[in-house]
Amino acid sequence: MKKEAFDLFKREMKYLGIALAALFIALEIAFYKENLLAVLRNALSLFWLFVLPGYFIMLYWHENLGFLERFFVGFAVAAGITGVFSYYAGLIGLNIKYHVILFPIVMILVGAWVNLKELKKDSIY
Amino acid sequence: MIKIKLDAEKIILVIFLVILLFIGPGSIFSHQLKHDFPYGYSASDAFQHQTRAEAIKDAGNFRNEASYISFGLEGLVGRYPPTLYHLAVIFSYASGMEVYDSIYFIVLLFSVVGAAMMYFIIRNFNKNAALISLPLMILIFASPPSMGFSWGHWPSLLAQVFLIAFAWCIVNIELKNSYFLIALILAAIALTHTSEAVFAAIFIAIFFIFKLITGKLEKNSVKNISIGIAAFLIVSSYYLIIFMNTWAKAQPYSFSVMPAWEGNPGFYIMGFGILLIFIVIGIVFSLLKIKDIHAALIFAFAMLLSGFLNYAGFDTRAFQIRFFWPIYLSVFFGFGVYMIMKILIKQWNQIYSLAVLFVFIMPLIGLIKIPLVPYYENNGFQGLMDPYHWDALKWLSEKTEPDAKIYFFYGDIYGQDALLRNSKRTHYQADPKNFVQALQNSSIRKAYVSELPGDSGGRPVVRKRIFDFEDVVSSKPQEFFFGPQNICNFDYLVFDKASQQQALAQYNMLIASELLKKEFIEIVQENKAVVILKNNKVGADCIEERSF
Repeated sequence: MKKEAFDLFKREMKYLGIALAALFIALEIAFYKENLLAVLRNALSLFWLFVLPGYFIMLYWHENLGFLERFFVGFAVAAGITGVFSYYAGLIGLNIKYHVILFPIVMILVGAWVNLKELKKDSIY
Repeated sequence: MIKIKLDAEKIILVIFLVILLFIGPGSIFSHQLKHDFPYGYSASDAFQHQTRAEAIKDAGNFRNEASYISFGLEGLVGRYPPTLYHLAVIFSYASGMEVYDSIYFIVLLFSVVGAAMMYFIIRNFNKNAALISLPLMILIFASPPSMGFSWGHWPSLLAQVFLIAFAWCIVNIELKNSYFLIALILAAIALTHTSEAVFAAIFIAIFFIFKLITGKLEKNSVKNISIGIAAFLIVSSYYLIIFMNTWAKAQPYSFSVMPAWEGNPGFYIMGFGILLIFIVIGIVFSLLKIKDIHAALIFAFAMLLSGFLNYAGFDTRAFQIRFFWPIYLSVFFGFGVYMIMKILIKQWNQIYSLAVLFVFIMPLIGLIKIPLVPYYENNGFQGLMDPYHWDALKWLSEKTEPDAKIYFFYGDIYGQDALLRNSKRTHYQADPKNFVQALQNSSIRKAYVSELPGDSGGRPVVRKRIFDFEDVVSSKPQEFFFGPQNICNFDYLVFDKASQQQALAQYNMLIASELLKKEFIEIVQENKAVVILKNNKVGADCIEERSF
């Protein structure tokens, strides 16, 4: 089971790397008049805010869904969660400027924790 | 061999999405991510959303609406669905983009994500139909649907992206614990543009009716949707209480028939031109398979119906759904074309789907023009704002006292009054009709009929207790919003130096020169298009009334 999990992790990390590169290239093509650093920062921002959190949330269903499908649905799911809970976090006094760090970290950690728990559960049986 | 086929499909999908990114967000943004002023904004609504997001960034939260958005009134509860604004601000912090760029970028980019999700919804039904459906999606960036972007129907468009995500959840409802996604996506819809939650409800109702009739209703599906809806209500309850006491009271449902969207470039079904034939064929084949109908087709039927609910009291909300018809109805298009081709070619191969995809992309992207086939045209357009007005508005927001009152004399672009909120100060503007009358009478006045512009949508209220909301706007007299205002009572007076009707600009300059005769009035900011005067003795006699 450990090997399977490691293989999955290795494969998915490769996909994530390709996804980041593809995102950067796609943005560079669409916004070719913009300077490279601004495009790179934009790609990294999208990756940090939506791709990574969405990836860790959708990883739970990796056996049923391909990477690309999880990538796009995860993108929207992460945005939905961020938008809704950022509103509430602001209302309880957490200034929105901190959400850019906080929300992706929370989603990544929760997603990773749930998936690790699932993997452990699978390895017991 | 199978692996190569799958990769080819993914590569084609990615290439298509890059094309969509290029002709949509890329073209609308003139292929630049950052601009010196709000770029591509064509109507007041766009500025309305931009200024609200700016206000949230300044305040750090959306507890209250900014006073300069709300007729100068303090403490009004933030009543607009907040998701888009929060995403725009967070993305602005992360990317270094200005909020006016980030908010538009979010809407445009997520529309492409929505197209990708729709692809996977259709793929779950039929991979070939999914590939063939892609070209129709290009039309979201063709006119008139693209007006949804430039005219600022942004919350609706983003909510529709979440609506597509919701449809994806329903297509995959058998996934383990799918209620988690259902709840969060429904909450995202409700907190982005609440009316789309009604369209989600229409879809889910039709979905369950179909499943019930065909005897294919799974216990697990009912469980997932029930838990999902319950969790959604819990997550959204705080905002929904605000919504029920503002928007739901201001715009309650009432039956009406609104065949045309007056004053707006609405999209009508005939706008698909001859492509409608394929859509209709897709609908016919879908109905022939009604016993085994797939959720992707039910979703398309639900959105087709929703887009026609302007005949049943849904008014503009139904017209907004039509902006994404090219995405929703693409399943019918892809299925229709696929079924016709299948009649001709018995042994279908995925490569044929790719060929058909290519054949349709060419005219839809505008590379080959075919009569009666709608096509994409470059949307690059600066919009209403220009560097000079933006410079003046930024100056007002940064250099004036927070409680300063500002008066805007006639300006060509001020009819789209939400842009004036970029002054971030309480402001009045001259009523153009009365201003023209004053010019025709050749009179310089101390008092001009003026408007206090502000956002009255959804019943502005102060929240007293959790369920207690007080309407503080309707109790104000009419003169508070519209009536003569003594221009001497304002701290800053803004004049446009140029106009398409030069007489109005000259009249502006005449008033400005009269004001400058007083030693306590000075020019504090000036550029090619705008001059701003400061009145250092507010309330004093600042201008001599006379004829000229």
